[in-house]
Amino acid sequence: MIDKIYSDAMLGESYREIKHPSGLTIRVLHKDGYKSSYALFATKYGSIDTKIAQPDGTFRTIPEGTAHFLEHKLFESEDLDAFERFAKTGANANAFTSFDMTAYLFQCTDRFSENLEILLDFVQSPYFTEETVQKEQGIIGQEIRMYRDSAEWEVEFNLLRALYHQHPVRIDIAGTEQTIAGITADLLYGCYRNFYDLHNMVLAVAGKATAEEVLAAADKMLKPASGKAAVREFVPEPPAPAQTEIVERMPVNVPLFALGYKEAIDTPERTAKQSLATTILLDAIAGRSSALYKKLLEEGLINTGFSPQYFYGFGYANCEFSGESADPYRAAEEIRKAVADIRKTGIDAEAFERARRKRYGRTVMNYNDVDAVAHEMAESYFAGADLFETARICRELTLDDVNARLGEILDDSTAALSVILPKDGKDE
Amino acid sequence: MDAPKLLRIADGAELVAVRTELFKTCKIHVSIALPLAGDIAAKAVLPYILRRSCRRYPDFTSLNGHLDTLYGATLGAAVSKLGEAQLLQLSVGAIDDRFVPDGSSVAAEAAELLTQLLFEPKLENGTFCQSDVEIEKRLLLQRMQAEDDDKRTYARRRCEEVMCENEPYGKNRYGTAQEIESLTPERVYAAWREVLETARIRFVLVNSGEPDTAFSLLQAQFAGVERRVCDIRTQFIPSADTVRYARETQALMQGTLVMGFRCGMTREDDMDPALSVMADIFGGGTYSRLFSVVREKMSLCYFCAARLNRQKGVMLVFSGIETENEEKTREAILAQLHEIQNGAIAQDTLDTSVRSLRDTIRGYTDSPDVLCAWYGSQILNGTAKTPAQRIAEIETVTLPQVQKAAEAVTLDTVFMLAGTGEENHD
Repeated sequence: MIDKIYSDAMLGESYREIKHPSGLTIRVLHKDGYKSSYALFATKYGSIDTKIAQPDGTFRTIPEGTAHFLEHKLFESEDLDAFERFAKTGANANAFTSFDMTAYLFQCTDRFSENLEILLDFVQSPYFTEETVQKEQGIIGQEIRMYRDSAEWEVEFNLLRALYHQHPVRIDIAGTEQTIAGITADLLYGCYRNFYDLHNMVLAVAGKATAEEVLAAADKMLKPASGKAAVREFVPEPPAPAQTEIVERMPVNVPLFALGYKEAIDTPERTAKQSLATTILLDAIAGRSSALYKKLLEEGLINTGFSPQYFYGFGYANCEFSGESADPYRAAEEIRKAVADIRKTGIDAEAFERARRKRYGRTVMNYNDVDAVAHEMAESYFAGADLFETARICRELTLDDVNARLGEILDDSTAALSVILPKDGKDE
Repeated sequence: MDAPKLLRIADGAELVAVRTELFKTCKIHVSIALPLAGDIAAKAVLPYILRRSCRRYPDFTSLNGHLDTLYGATLGAAVSKLGEAQLLQLSVGAIDDRFVPDGSSVAAEAAELLTQLLFEPKLENGTFCQSDVEIEKRLLLQRMQAEDDDKRTYARRRCEEVMCENEPYGKNRYGTAQEIESLTPERVYAAWREVLETARIRFVLVNSGEPDTAFSLLQAQFAGVERRVCDIRTQFIPSADTVRYARETQALMQGTLVMGFRCGMTREDDMDPALSVMADIFGGGTYSRLFSVVREKMSLCYFCAARLNRQKGVMLVFSGIETENEEKTREAILAQLHEIQNGAIAQDTLDTSVRSLRDTIRGYTDSPDVLCAWYGSQILNGTAKTPAQRIAEIETVTLPQVQKAAEAVTLDTVFMLAGTGEENHD
């Protein structure tokens, strides 16, 4: 069993990383004085995993939305479902599926060991029948419809559909009512075997709990896995977007827009340094203290919900500027103009230092929250990094690093625009 | 974590100080309560105007640049309703000096900044700046409209409006669109004076140091203000005689059903805490009746939950459903309430709810934001009840009390936001 301690003196935090004999990697960050513990048991399996690697090296396609469907179904078992078991302890349990992971979690201030045992047990005990699969189609059907009515959700997914030709980041996380209709109990078992191997997973715990408590539960509950991490297929994308614009009309009052720049990548993953330099760059360009933000706000083209973000994962990366606007086309045009200008001059030292300090402070603030820490431990593990890498790089990053990064991204020929416009009249 | 200190600053103004070294941050938060009446729009725009700038950092860009330089200090503004009070909030958060890489002092400056925003705004010719007011008017209007674009929020707001149309609570916390459009710098200035002179004001400070500096700073600022504190009352309607029904249709794939209940309350602490526990059993966590029956057993929805608004004595139940299932869902929700009213709740169910509430509330002390909200929400009561004290109260609840609380609940209003069930795509 490999057991290592990582510390960051400036942050005043340390965590243990344990390679458990079962195959699972465990990260525990103990916070003295906290009353809560937050545990996240996650697998590197998200909505972008629409294919399963076969022994002969080929890939078999599975229905869109399977990862999310499996997440819902894993809560069930032959007798008490997981929610009922957590009700007996008082913990607050939940789960989510993102583009690249599925995670099961609980937060509690009491009976931590018991809760962790429940978590490790139910995630390792799949129980699917045709009947329960069918029942879930109604619930998930409503979840899908709820998101389809959300303009914020639509503007984002339309942008991804515009930017990407074939990468599965362009499909809805929960799939569609049509695709999930094709999901069967057998299929779920197959996906479970492929993606829920402990070598493909991580357990991240932050808060009151100690590594000893976590290990005791792990030793008791983890079933040794013989397999290995699931293989993801890297499908290179052409540098240009699939479409330069997608417009949709919905019953909204205020139009929404998302302007995205696709990044040309020849390896599937971004490094922590690339990600941080990009985030700082975007904040320097379009954050609240930037000249661009001031101009857009004063000209009535954005409101305070406007923000830039770097969006990336396995095989996809893009820079986004999104918000609400009375004139989304002019807003997008002004942003494109400003971005093109900044690409010629680079960002200045003051803007860089403001954005760098802000990013560092926000990173420090995250350590207040046990949930944020646990999520970050899981995400950084899947990205092959240690938890403190972001803070460390943020202390060392230079203006030259960031301006060098600017040359690699935000090319105007890679941009696409997604717009949601109001339908005429609210009532129909 | 030390017990919170409740310090009186001036008439109707106080500071709750929570000293702890648990966090990486220093956080100062102010809640400002005024009657939900008068120039609501002018008061609603005020926190956003104050957040824009101050005498020392006279424009949005320089103020935000300063926040960035203070290692990403955060600045928040919000408007909400607390019973029939209009609640304005401002907050500043910064990393604690112990974690500043270059050894500079950030925390004290952040606390000072909040007092500057509140007491030393940027004024021109004795009033707020016309161009600032114009921008914030537009933003407030958009904020109001955009909130309606979230269909769940919209449906809940509409249900409250229909239910409380003859009570102050039925008013929008931002005022009306016309009131916002007609705002002038003078009206915003008058609202600012009203806040300083008449509002109930509560600061909450969560940091690692003693509150002395912040307290002296605030006391000095209030020394120059003549205070005559306003009276804030909320109208409670204990029960509904008839059920009101309202329905709208929009081009949505999913319908949203909202049911508004009166809870038999005549004041905020009626049937407390039994009613809170009852609402949790009914539609709180995943163990609640609404989740386990209406969602899990009947597969009618993805979400179905109940939320008690103790400050107004109402409870809302909301669920996203197939529009055609409206009646079936209404009946299922009411059937769950009837079960609790008929005493069909086992001790085990009560224990589950108390356990879950206890577990959640105990964790409130692990977040500065939650602590600020917790103590800020007690502004009208003048208390600084700790989460531990609240847990002790909840643990006293008995089954007969839960049943009695449920019996007092009556359905007042049903609001259905119907969907056409079709794709939005054009």
